[in-house]
Amino acid sequence: MTDASAPSPGRPHEILANLGDLTRKVRIAQRGTWFPLLLFAVLTLGAILANRFTFSIRTIPCPVSHTPVGAGPSCVLTRQGMPGYWAGGLVLAYAATAFFYLRRSRSRGVGTPIRPYVLTGIAIAVLFGATAFLGTPQTPPGPTIDFWGLHLNPHAGATMLLERFTGTAASIGVPLLVLSWVERNRALLLFTLAYLALELAPINTGSWIAPSSPWSALPHLAIPAVFLLLGALGFARTQQRSQRTTS
Amino acid sequence: MTDQADQHPVTGLDDVVHQRVRLGILTIAHQARRVEFGFLRTALELTAGNLSQHLAVLEKAGLLHVEKGYEGKRPRTWLALTPTGHQALQDEVTHLKRLIHQIEQGNSAP
Repeated sequence: MTDASAPSPGRPHEILANLGDLTRKVRIAQRGTWFPLLLFAVLTLGAILANRFTFSIRTIPCPVSHTPVGAGPSCVLTRQGMPGYWAGGLVLAYAATAFFYLRRSRSRGVGTPIRPYVLTGIAIAVLFGATAFLGTPQTPPGPTIDFWGLHLNPHAGATMLLERFTGTAASIGVPLLVLSWVERNRALLLFTLAYLALELAPINTGSWIAPSSPWSALPHLAIPAVFLLLGALGFARTQQRSQRTTS
Repeated sequence: MTDQADQHPVTGLDDVVHQRVRLGILTIAHQARRVEFGFLRTALELTAGNLSQHLAVLEKAGLLHVEKGYEGKRPRTWLALTPTGHQALQDEVTHLKRLIHQIEQGNSAP
């Protein structure tokens, strides 16, 4: 048996390499990435049903600038989705993730770095919910969109990108970026960037699902949901394998 | 008067910290924020007695905070680095990096 009080044997870079190995071992024990991804996938799939059952069509008087020459004075306004669904669902998902990580931390014997992720997630979800509630227009759509006092052109590419970003892209993607940072998880960083690209990419479904269809939001939700679900499965398998290797 | 930067990095290594097991304990506790006795024992492949001796040294030096409690009926010991412990680990790693730098410079010198 080696002398317990002997200084570290080996060259300095070997000592640093050993410390790096120990750090990696701790990080593997701390990670539970599959769980939040699974929750987000379920939440996004649930949103398909929420959108379907809250779908409504109303005929309203057209704003003057929207009335085409020779057309009737009424416009069709479609509305779907519950602002409370996303805000409430996200807050519950972050609370469940915090609970999951704390239980894992206790059973595995290592602390968890999850706090910044949960706080970021809840803050964005609350902001997202408040914006959705306050932003729900009670008046017919005008030539501009009022976004926090900014009057934006609804047909401009930048406005559409901003609209997509302030949806699930920000409330799921940004906290996942924080998680990849606190977990020092490069695979999660790449996965999150791919997820954000998927959320922000314009998907034109008008040719096969009419905007007036109750299922018009299906592709916009189903694609990221399947991506998150596959990510959860992939991370679960990888983390299970890494844990078997290190233990 | 000698400037600290002029000293050889070896003189800056702390004997309490620069020991294989203790350096491992500090590294794990730093990364984990809080670590349980059992995790340390498995990760460092030590006996409970051996690990306890090293923990006692680190606790006496004020580098580690030990918290004993129960989870159900099972006794559990959690450990966390003190601010002095974080600083000591950071200093040790800095000295090791300087040492590597000096060795590499020495090797490349004609």
